[in-house]
Amino acid sequence: MDQNNSLPPYAQGLASPQGAMTPGIPIFSPMMPYGTGLTPQPVQSTSSLSILEEQQRQQQQQQQQQQQQQAAQQSTSQQATQGTSGQTPQLFHSQTLTTAPLPGTTPLYPSPMTPMTPITPATPASESSGIVPQLQNIVSTVNLGCKLDLKTIALRARNAEYNPKRFAAVIMRIREPRTTALIFSSGKMVCTGAKSEEQSRLAARKYARVVQKLGFPAKFLDFKIQNMVGSCDVKFPIRLEGLVLTHQQFSSYEPELFPGLIYRMIKPRIVLLIFVSGKVVLTGAKVRAEIYEAFENIYPILKGFRKTT
Amino acid sequence: MSGGGRGRCPDCGCAELVEDSHYAQSQLVCAECGCVVSEGLLTTTFADEGNLREVTYSRSTGENERVSHSQQRGLRRVRDLCRVLQLPSTFEDTAVSYYQRAFQHPSLHAARLQKKEVLVGCCVLVTCRQHNWPLTMGTICTLLYANLELFSGTYLQIVKVLGLDVPALSLADLVKTYCSSFKLFQVSPSVSVKFVEDKEKMVSRTLQLVELASETWLVTGRHPVPVITAAAYLAWRSLQPGGRLTCSLSRFCKLAGVDLPHPAHLRVQELLAILLRMAGQLAWLRILNLDKQTVVKHIGDLLQHRCILLRQAFRDEAEEEEGDGEEAGSSTLGTLEKKRPASSPPPLLPPCMLRPPKRPCPTPADSSITGDEDISDSEIEQYLRTPREIRDFQRAQASSQAVPCHPAPS
Repeated sequence: MDQNNSLPPYAQGLASPQGAMTPGIPIFSPMMPYGTGLTPQPVQSTSSLSILEEQQRQQQQQQQQQQQQQAAQQSTSQQATQGTSGQTPQLFHSQTLTTAPLPGTTPLYPSPMTPMTPITPATPASESSGIVPQLQNIVSTVNLGCKLDLKTIALRARNAEYNPKRFAAVIMRIREPRTTALIFSSGKMVCTGAKSEEQSRLAARKYARVVQKLGFPAKFLDFKIQNMVGSCDVKFPIRLEGLVLTHQQFSSYEPELFPGLIYRMIKPRIVLLIFVSGKVVLTGAKVRAEIYEAFENIYPILKGFRKTT
Repeated sequence: MSGGGRGRCPDCGCAELVEDSHYAQSQLVCAECGCVVSEGLLTTTFADEGNLREVTYSRSTGENERVSHSQQRGLRRVRDLCRVLQLPSTFEDTAVSYYQRAFQHPSLHAARLQKKEVLVGCCVLVTCRQHNWPLTMGTICTLLYANLELFSGTYLQIVKVLGLDVPALSLADLVKTYCSSFKLFQVSPSVSVKFVEDKEKMVSRTLQLVELASETWLVTGRHPVPVITAAAYLAWRSLQPGGRLTCSLSRFCKLAGVDLPHPAHLRVQELLAILLRMAGQLAWLRILNLDKQTVVKHIGDLLQHRCILLRQAFRDEAEEEEGDGEEAGSSTLGTLEKKRPASSPPPLLPPCMLRPPKRPCPTPADSSITGDEDISDSEIEQYLRTPREIRDFQRAQASSQAVPCHPAPS
């Protein structure tokens, strides 16, 4: 066929692959055409303990919680941010205490946490990973509650850019916390780039204050965090082809399009980008706990794909 | 034929009204008592349709039954594409059904024509993948003159929207198809005798090299075609090293009549590095002090013993950790050196993990921000322009806007 010659990159032959229909001896692990059977959802994989073990753990946890609650209350603000890796088991543990009273969060971590007195678990998959995902970006919205004149804002503020032909909002940036805001003429504002929820709130308040000083009756209504992005490194390579075979319903791996595997976890509703180097990006969370929970769900699955055989 | 929605019989009160025609005049008759309820009816759409009278297209459901022009065109394109690719006829029907389903879906029904064109390719690709027919996205994009970005977006959308189970591209079949497209198997004006190769031998050796690459983390996360090009190049050279060692990758691609994908150079280097490590484990090759050119001569031997050589050449990190956790006695894998000094074999990792990080990861600042702190006025004022600056800015804006208003001198 003459068309073969003119095909640009990555196009292979169009001749009907006679041999391809019946591959003969499958040298590679055969890709089952219509996916494997149903696999349990990720959440179930962590509760692989027997009931007795879980009761034991819960008793221990209750003892530790009483001890740690005092310590946690003293330093809640510190615990809210990332600690050094040496403290991560504790940090992880007390994090649940600070976020538990928040409305809307169901009892988190029915799966085991690291106990203070380490016991050798019967099933290694039940250990917590000891790795805490770091938050990289927080997107939040707030309503300033009044109509704004974007031309005036762009004229009188130093840190604003406004190009109505390109985008119908003013782009404003502040240095501390290092964030960017999109301010719309309706009075709504989107704030991006913060590394924690508190930073995002502080930044949004600073933007509102700037708009106030420019002469508008700006308020601070309905501050809401819309999206949180976190990332971490499991420090071992991952066989993405194997992962997409066993978790076909949740994963999408197209090496021709993107080098990472896109894993859509159902509970919690988080999208994870998993790369061969072991780096994992988690996004789509509304609260920090969802990111931690999603990572704890995916870690045992990833460990299962650690070996090359 | 049921008259359930038409009311009840005035005589016996039953709801079973049946349409019947008496000498071509339609009547509504009660099924129980036979009383004629009505003949020559009121004009409702149901009544109209029931009595074979015309109803306007917009008030009918004909829209759902007829296939629109746009959809017809799309279905024709699907069939044409299947014929161009010389796919079996069963594929055509599957692809057509996927296209119909996708077209009906609300999110794709109102899409632009460009996207519907790309949708054609996506349906064909899904069909081929499900039948393990090795078709790359690059091929379809070039056939449709489509942008790969638009194609990828539409493809991911259609997989999610239709809930399709699409298996991965089967690498073995892709190798066979790709290698079969090379023009190296017959003597021709451009291909001299020393470059001609037997197809079976070349395909089998390429397959082995691709399998080696996938075991050593060179395939995961990367586009498959450059790996296959690199493997084919090395396989071809190793089958007759005599005349071919000096042939470069670009020359090989020209001979074979395929395009040279840009990452293929890197894949060749990575494969050669793996082969050199493996060669270091064979005593008779260690003496020869092989380099990247000369190792090609011994690829045949290396591939024959690749399983053992791989295990010896690279320590398996996961196995080692388990071994350390257990008793501190002798290691179970006697041939491997488990000590830390430089003689220990390197870990088998993907190349992205072996390279040192480009920049140090910034440690997160240990900030104790509560979000409700006071904001000082001076901090905010640094972001506001002074009146003087505002005047200067306005003047500058006015002058820059005034310039293009001057009429051009003719």
